[in-house]
Amino acid sequence: MRLDGGLVRRKIGTSPNSKRSFWRLVSKEWRELFASRSYWLLLLMIGPLVGHGFITAVGLYAEASGTGGPAALAQGLTPLDGILVPAFGAYDLAATFLFPFVAIRMISAEKQSGGLKLLLQLPGSLATKVGAKALVLLGGWIVTLLPGLLAIGLWKFYGGHLYAPETLNLLLGHFLRAMLSAGFGFAAAALAENAASAAIITLGFTVGTWALDFIAAGRGGFLQQLAAYTPAATLRFFEHGLLRLNIFVAMLAISVAGFALAGIWLHPGRSWRFRLLGTVTLALTLALIMVGANGVRASWDASENRRNSFSRADEAALSQIRQPLRITVVLSPEDPRLTDYEQNVLRKLRRVLPRLEVDYSSSSRTGLFEKPEDHYGEIWYEMNGQRAMERSTIEEVVLEQIYKLAGINPAAHSDENAFSGYPLSVKPRGASWIFYGLWPLLTVAAWWVQNRSR
Amino acid sequence: MTALLTVEGITKFFNQRRVLDEVGFSVRAGEVLGLIGPNGSGKTTLFECLAGLMPADAGTIKSNNKDLAPSKRKEALFYLPDAIFPWAEQTVSWVLGFFRQLYGRSEQQSSMLMETLRLDELMRSRIGSLSKGERKRTLLALGLLTPQPLLMLDEPFDGLDLRQTRDVMTLLKSHAATGRTLMLSIHQLVDAGRVCDRLVMLSAGKVVGEGSIDDLRAQAKLSEGGVEEIFLALT
Repeated sequence: MRLDGGLVRRKIGTSPNSKRSFWRLVSKEWRELFASRSYWLLLLMIGPLVGHGFITAVGLYAEASGTGGPAALAQGLTPLDGILVPAFGAYDLAATFLFPFVAIRMISAEKQSGGLKLLLQLPGSLATKVGAKALVLLGGWIVTLLPGLLAIGLWKFYGGHLYAPETLNLLLGHFLRAMLSAGFGFAAAALAENAASAAIITLGFTVGTWALDFIAAGRGGFLQQLAAYTPAATLRFFEHGLLRLNIFVAMLAISVAGFALAGIWLHPGRSWRFRLLGTVTLALTLALIMVGANGVRASWDASENRRNSFSRADEAALSQIRQPLRITVVLSPEDPRLTDYEQNVLRKLRRVLPRLEVDYSSSSRTGLFEKPEDHYGEIWYEMNGQRAMERSTIEEVVLEQIYKLAGINPAAHSDENAFSGYPLSVKPRGASWIFYGLWPLLTVAAWWVQNRSR
Repeated sequence: MTALLTVEGITKFFNQRRVLDEVGFSVRAGEVLGLIGPNGSGKTTLFECLAGLMPADAGTIKSNNKDLAPSKRKEALFYLPDAIFPWAEQTVSWVLGFFRQLYGRSEQQSSMLMETLRLDELMRSRIGSLSKGERKRTLLALGLLTPQPLLMLDEPFDGLDLRQTRDVMTLLKSHAATGRTLMLSIHQLVDAGRVCDRLVMLSAGKVVGEGSIDDLRAQAKLSEGGVEEIFLALT
């Protein structure tokens, strides 16, 4: 038995075939992904989860549209809130509790089996290998989007309305959310000794971001700015039909940093010094990007009902304001007025006033035991050295106060572009069969077929 | 024969324990070099340091009198670890095909290896379902499909029966005859004596002897005796 000795001296790794090698690695990762039970479990579960969200949402939407009773205000009936967000809520659940484990498995399985030692010696850089894994994992996530796309198709089939920009924006949000999970799963798997430890790190991180969300609510300052980048908070912007450039950049940067961290820690031949230096450099780069992104205010309101924007007339009037506006809110984080004020006023103001500063000065969490001298419930506006207090959280009242302080004339309003809503009273015909029957059946059949063909 | 690689002063600590102590030897082009020593003598650690899969605390590896950085080692050598279960869900056929395509080997070369290593009947089996010996033969095939000038095999005969051991020895010698250099880590001293041109003896992380059996016999000041006697005399 003789092998060609000429091949022995061929230089590898940097050969012109490196592009072909990359696609071979991608193909290998696909096979590995489809060999992973955790991925098939994710596929199996995502159908019924999306189905439950969709069927419940269609039922509630029909009720709100007047099935067997009085209709709610039609203006409040948007398919984004009523159908898409609940149906795609399953993906948030999957990205939090299922997808990270698929990501962890892609790294940990090779670490524990010793396959990593072979993989690292194959042609191509480590970055290429992690890149191939990341590409396949995200491709795998796109496959899981099928039930969601089926739900969208069914909704259209029922005669439902969809507004493409807000639908695509939501899909983008869920894709970026999955990227965050993938990046974090990779990093955890590369850092931890085994899959179990990586899973604990991932769950710890998830719980930590929830805690941060809770603690930072209504606090203002650095903590609230930081909390805006937790996975749940970032997704919320997309669910509201808002595409913020800083959130987009931050989600992308954090995900890529996760993959890069995996690249730094995955190779067992690297010294601790290299790993620590690499980690510090990566952390500094990420911090710089985040600080840079935090200063970017560009955003796009993709919602059909312009829920993230003031009227065009008000936006034009507000865009004339160049002076800084400082708002001091004396409302506790759990006060519904603060939620109302955040959603209906501050979110919109932040988009149009570049020099807006908001202070949250309530000393308690609930606001139930504030004393009169605490000025609870007051909202102070400060501009041009003038101060004014207003308790109302209604958009029109707040804007009037700001116009008064800025010394500009209030905008003239017109109702010509008012959102009329899309009531639709239908039953989710066939959805149960598709999501609870057909999807699991197809998933099991696909698993069986690919399992046999291997 | 010229030196393909020169290993100098490789030292490795695990916590405070010195597991490799200034290990140095040379690997000559086209030879079958045996790294022998008892369990725990540092053979696998040395292989992993040489392959760049574990950072050494000191020492260098030179090729043509130039330092071979860990990141460049995979161009010069391929290391096949012992006791690994790579890609357990994939079939033998697919894994062999993956390596064959990755390294541009012909189907004929791959078929000859399969025949010699008696892998034909295992082609549809999954790696995870193979016995220790079957897995070893599959992994050997992967190693032999790689093109690097030096192939390092950790315990290549572990898990093989007598007949398979003899066949694999023949295969390795034939492979070396094509011009490829082999470095084998072996704890069975008798096997090492039968297949290797030269030996590096490792004991408690130190090189205690290097050379052909005759050279080592001279170093041990023995007039006769096999590898076992030489090893006992030198350690």
